[in-house]
Amino acid sequence: MLKIETKHDSNFTTLHLIGEVDASNSVELDEHISGLVDSGVQKILVDGSALEYISSAGLGVFMSYIEDFQEKNISLVIFGLNERVYQVFRILGLDQLIQIKSDKEEALRV
Amino acid sequence: MFKLPNLNIGKISLLVAIMTWLALLFVDITRLFGKINQLDSQIAPEVSYILQIIFFIMVYLFFHHSIQKSEKSNFLDLIWRGASTGLLATGVSLLISLFYFMLGDSRLASDPILKNIFYHIDFGFITIFLVSSTLLWKHLILYQKNKRIVNQWQGFEIGLLVSMFFVFFNQNSLDYSFLFGLGVLVIFGISLSVNLKWIPYLTFKEKWKSILYLVVILISSSYLFIQILSYSSSISPYLNLTDNLFLLSLFAFVFIYSLFSFLVTLFNLPTSSVFEQKLVEAINFQRLSQSIKPGQNENQVLDILMDSCMSAAYVDAAWLEILDVNGNKNVIHQRFVGNKERMELQKLIEETKPFSDFRWDNRANDSKTLIGKLPDFKYKSAMIVPLVIHKKTLGRIYLVKEVKDGFNKEMINIISTFVGQACISVENYRLLNEALKNERYKEELLIAQRVQRSLLPSKLHHDDSFQIHGFSEAADEVGGDYYETQELGEGKFAIIIGDVSGKGTSAAFNMSQMKGVFHSLVQLNPSPSEFLIKANAALSHCLEKNHFITTSYFVLDTVSQVITYSRAGHCPTLFFKAKENVSEYLSIDGMGLGVLRNKMYEKYVHQKDVHYEEGDIMILFTDGIIEAKNQEGEEFGYERLKLSVNDGHALTASQIQQKIIEDMYEFIGSSSLPDDDYSLLVIKFLQKPQ
Repeated sequence: MLKIETKHDSNFTTLHLIGEVDASNSVELDEHISGLVDSGVQKILVDGSALEYISSAGLGVFMSYIEDFQEKNISLVIFGLNERVYQVFRILGLDQLIQIKSDKEEALRV
Repeated sequence: MFKLPNLNIGKISLLVAIMTWLALLFVDITRLFGKINQLDSQIAPEVSYILQIIFFIMVYLFFHHSIQKSEKSNFLDLIWRGASTGLLATGVSLLISLFYFMLGDSRLASDPILKNIFYHIDFGFITIFLVSSTLLWKHLILYQKNKRIVNQWQGFEIGLLVSMFFVFFNQNSLDYSFLFGLGVLVIFGISLSVNLKWIPYLTFKEKWKSILYLVVILISSSYLFIQILSYSSSISPYLNLTDNLFLLSLFAFVFIYSLFSFLVTLFNLPTSSVFEQKLVEAINFQRLSQSIKPGQNENQVLDILMDSCMSAAYVDAAWLEILDVNGNKNVIHQRFVGNKERMELQKLIEETKPFSDFRWDNRANDSKTLIGKLPDFKYKSAMIVPLVIHKKTLGRIYLVKEVKDGFNKEMINIISTFVGQACISVENYRLLNEALKNERYKEELLIAQRVQRSLLPSKLHHDDSFQIHGFSEAADEVGGDYYETQELGEGKFAIIIGDVSGKGTSAAFNMSQMKGVFHSLVQLNPSPSEFLIKANAALSHCLEKNHFITTSYFVLDTVSQVITYSRAGHCPTLFFKAKENVSEYLSIDGMGLGVLRNKMYEKYVHQKDVHYEEGDIMILFTDGIIEAKNQEGEEFGYERLKLSVNDGHALTASQIQQKIIEDMYEFIGSSSLPDDDYSLLVIKFLQKPQ
């Protein structure tokens, strides 16, 4: 089960991921992110504090936007991941390409 | 053995009847001749009575037999048979009258013997007409048999049989006992005559014809009856054959039943179209409920549905709107209305209450018909019936009529039933198609599974200095885990383990690409970091945008006892050091293949060496093992894997593999099935060969 809440602030947009991202709902995450990219948002914060699990399909979604973000100069920061989910990002090496911070304050400072 | 010849009752009874009639004629003429010439050759009238009864019975038997032979003939044919015999008897009687009229006052006209012959002829034909008609009526009365009617009819037949012998009792004088007997049989006949259940089954045209035939029978029987009466008043010199209780009862019965049939048929004429309509509806319903046969499509059911609805409600125009997969409305099956007129009407209907309340996404549209008036010049009332399958509205039927309030309760009911049945047929058809399609998918998956299984090596390369054992299990029919070995020569071996992102068939396809890349690159004897850089470059061109492959690549040198390794996003390898009796994960940075698809990738590739000794163990695995969850949602995790290996370090490679899998199963509980692929490769180093 995955629930995605979008919150727009003056200069950034927060995606709050609640639950698990797996092959069955990774498309949902993809649609949300591509919607934000199309709407011209410059800074995306992903709140992963309530994210319990992410599968390779979910990682694939984040991975597929890395080049897009670079081209369009969009910054995406993930924060609040629990240790287990963070390890999944780290093992794949995505932490070297996506900024992952421990909390929102840090994420906002980027 | 003595064998009875196959008796033909029809022919025999006919023959006997004719002979009896001739004998009766001979006896009566002989008696008359004696009477006229005052000869003393009186023959008792009982002889004639007995012959008459035999004649009656033989005629009865003959017609009984001949009607049974033509069992399949329809009602109209039966009535026609009655009418034609009536015409024949009347015709014969008329001819006799005409003959006497032409004779005028000649001597022959008053000859009693000739007169008596003609009287016998008339008697014969009247008997034939009455008996045959009675048996026809019997057939009609017993059309819808039940026990009561059959018993009643048998009682009537017994009464008729008794009435034949009544003549011995009172010599056919019209006394009270005769009238009583006649009264009883007439009442019996009337009570039987209410059985007219065959009439509704006639079509409108057939009803008209049967009315005509019945009129013929009524006229014939009336004429013949009058003829009999005229005979009995002028018959004094001869034996009276026709003032017989049996014949008079038959007259009454034939006449009454014809009259009842005539009247009921006549009054049924205006309602016959209703009965015909119901019959058509029943047939339509049956056509709708027959499941669509293979090769046909649901369009045919909808076609029948449209026809059925239109004929059920006598509508003036109709069309069917179907929602296709993309949510577009398409009009199919348009009847008695042009495109332009239909579009205008549809617009008007959609703007008019209650039709404007219709919602396609309403999940309670089932059996929700909308009926109302239309503010249109031509069409005054309309009806919309939604087609609903699984609470999803997939279309709607528009029916319009030129009259106001053109849809009554019966029409609405029958149309709802039709639509319901059609929806069931369409649904069955779709389910069947889906089942066939699923069957095909399963077949394809099975092929993919076979291909994928063949991608995993059945034999792993090694020499005497180490044991190696692999294991792989897929959650889906096809998995995305991969491992392989290759001998590089001079005691060197390449070992790879990988996990393709995603699941199912697409993962299996990517896995086969990985296998291709491995076998191409391993020929060049690359270092682990070179391998990953080249593999990333190659896979960048073939992997989908959001897919990646994690892998670890090892080059094992059994001579120098060194493992060189690189990691591309794959979960870290566990290494057990026998000397220290501890195991730890080999830490090295790296990035999955396909994550970064340009030259920058090289920056993230690292390579390390590790020295091994006898008794050391290396465990290569995929994340399915680590992420296997128990019922509380807890993962098996890295620590439990470590413990499992520590416990089992003394075992052989294949035993260690079994122990790890058993430990994992024990942890997750046998009830839950794995939801990911998991693979394991255990390498145990032995003594260095000398």
